[in-house]
Amino acid sequence: MTSPAVPAAPDQARVAASPSRSGDRRRDGRVGWLEKTLGGITASIEHAIFTEQHARTDGWLQRRDPRAKLGMFLALVLAASLTASVAVLVGLYALTLGAARASRVPFSFFVKRVWLGIPFFAGIVVIPAIFMVPGPRLFDFAIGSLHLAPSAPGAGGAVLFVARVGVSVSLAVLLVMTTPWADILKSLRSLRVPQVFVLVLSMTYRYIFLFLHTANGILLARKSRVVARTTGGEQRRWISGTMGNLMSRAFKMSNDVYAAMLARGFSGEMRARAFHRMRTADWAALGGVAAIAALAVLGGRTLP
Amino acid sequence: MHIPDGYLSPIVSIGLGAATVPAWGIASQKVKAILNNRTIPLLAIFAALSFTIMMFNIPVPGGTTAHGVGGTLIAIVLGPWAAVIAVSVALVIQALFFGDGGVLAIFANCLNMGVLLPFVGYAVYRLLAGRAPLLSSRRAVAAGVAAYVGITVSALAVGIELGIQPLLFSDASGRPLYSPYDLNAAIPAMLLAHAFGASIVEGLITYLGVAYLQKRHPAYLTSLRGVYAPGVTDDGAASSRPYWQVLAATTLAAVAVLFAVGLVLGGGNPGRLFGADWSQVNWADVGTMLLVTAVIAVVIVPLAYLALPRRLKRIGAAFALVADIAPLGLIAPGFAYGEGGSKDVQAAFGYIPQGLQHLSGIFSAPLSGYTIPLPFFSGANASLWHAAVGYQATGIVGILLCGGVILAIARLLRGGGTVPDLPEDADAERHPAPGDAAEGIGA
Repeated sequence: MTSPAVPAAPDQARVAASPSRSGDRRRDGRVGWLEKTLGGITASIEHAIFTEQHARTDGWLQRRDPRAKLGMFLALVLAASLTASVAVLVGLYALTLGAARASRVPFSFFVKRVWLGIPFFAGIVVIPAIFMVPGPRLFDFAIGSLHLAPSAPGAGGAVLFVARVGVSVSLAVLLVMTTPWADILKSLRSLRVPQVFVLVLSMTYRYIFLFLHTANGILLARKSRVVARTTGGEQRRWISGTMGNLMSRAFKMSNDVYAAMLARGFSGEMRARAFHRMRTADWAALGGVAAIAALAVLGGRTLP
Repeated sequence: MHIPDGYLSPIVSIGLGAATVPAWGIASQKVKAILNNRTIPLLAIFAALSFTIMMFNIPVPGGTTAHGVGGTLIAIVLGPWAAVIAVSVALVIQALFFGDGGVLAIFANCLNMGVLLPFVGYAVYRLLAGRAPLLSSRRAVAAGVAAYVGITVSALAVGIELGIQPLLFSDASGRPLYSPYDLNAAIPAMLLAHAFGASIVEGLITYLGVAYLQKRHPAYLTSLRGVYAPGVTDDGAASSRPYWQVLAATTLAAVAVLFAVGLVLGGGNPGRLFGADWSQVNWADVGTMLLVTAVIAVVIVPLAYLALPRRLKRIGAAFALVADIAPLGLIAPGFAYGEGGSKDVQAAFGYIPQGLQHLSGIFSAPLSGYTIPLPFFSGANASLWHAAVGYQATGIVGILLCGGVILAIARLLRGGGTVPDLPEDADAERHPAPGDAAEGIGA
């Protein structure tokens, strides 16, 4: 979305946070809408490949059962959002860094990817609040009629806010980078998510890449054939035509897919193959992390 | 509009699940009852479509881009319940896999964009489309307006969810624990940003999308219609109205609405529209001011158009025009015009939001009161057009300053080169950069 407003910013953060940027810039240095979309699509595909690669390397988190991982993740994210102490958040972040190290997630990538993305925007978003929150002022710096007076609770809240967002995002990135998508879906089943949803999720994930591929082809075809400068109205008509076209393909495809499913004996029931077994190490990790999370929430009450 | 984790307290973000989860349950029941087993591939593929549409950048006048959600479009084609599932699934994948939007915040995000948006959009669409034939242009326009309203309501919901955080969750010293902006700040920020930006794009795209379907694939609008929304009139030939008629009708409607609002605010007295005492206005002065304004416009706007570099021509001329006509508000008597200081707000609302009081100390600009502190412009007996010229001058200075600051920040950020790069092994997988071959070509 266009605007620099409060939560609209994280949308743009995706561009900054995506693992790479395609090097397509126009000669005057500006990136056009077509290039932006192409870049976004390419970045998503790259992101998926990159993540799946890391999810399959051999590391501490990769060896854990996905259900244990999901449990650990939820416990820590809850702890991070329940605590009101910056010290606890710093501790949780240190824990995340340690786990990333043990799981062979590229360190500089992990740190940069997280902090240049969503928390960076949270930091920008929170700046005016430092001055707006009522309370005692840290200092009052006057330039003529201009008063630069951050409030103590405002500044404290801002630090807490950015730290919390940063830790939550780090945890999510770590979960995704060490778990193949198929395993995340399977562990959702153990959280009693209805089977239909899991089936739809897994099929959606598969067709996203088909659609991204198709859209990439359409956009590339236009980019390589159009030599004139076109008007905004023409571009918008073209984009919406493309969307309508994709929608018509979606209809046809869903019919074909349904026919194919019927032909293979689909009767509305979904059967999944047997799952991993939770081992002692998985239980130990889950229990340990849950204890740390509880300690962080309860013990953190006295910390700043 | 995707709320990341950490913005909402866990009590709120999980509590919103009490609204979202039943909506999902009902949606899957309804959709299953209507479409049977065919649902699963249909929903999965439309969720993938929704995800892809969210990736599309759409050129917006002024050289920037925005991206749409497509929830209303899917609601119009597949029905609102199917749209709930399609958009929610797309949002879940975005959160769990692409890190877009928080995991704990998933209920909140799905409620805003996955439940509210399609339902509000669909309701407005049904209301506006009435019993118009399925292929009429009225339906396409109704779809556009519906998408606009739907996404704006969804932005309002985000504003409310963020705005209640500091009220409910601050510690003893007043330190906000989650998103620090209260309702006074969060709602206008979300609403304005969307109402004048993303919502317009979404509306436009939905309008064009429905118009495209009507023209090329009318079957998609007709085939499922009878299934989930019986009783709606069928088919009918495409009819379209000339552009000027639409424009004239819109203008008339806008004037009528303004007049009605003015009457309500003025307590039903036509002489006191908007609560202002119009009999105090010196109409001769107003005439002079209008004349001066028109002359300045005739000079400034073409000048801006000619002087500015090509990229900025249109937008620059538009800004110049806005700066020029802005002082027309000075005519209104008795109520301070523009974004008045805290005193005006106090007069109007009876109290000062505390934050604004601190803020006004920071931002009391050198050109305070939007005029130049010289007797010619702001003296006690300066005539109206003097004030207007001062207003216009400060407006133009303000626009230039803002533009300069934004340009400088953009330069800084670009020069900084702080973009994380892929490690070596993933670089090998990098797809050939699509733009390289055709640089400088295209839009």
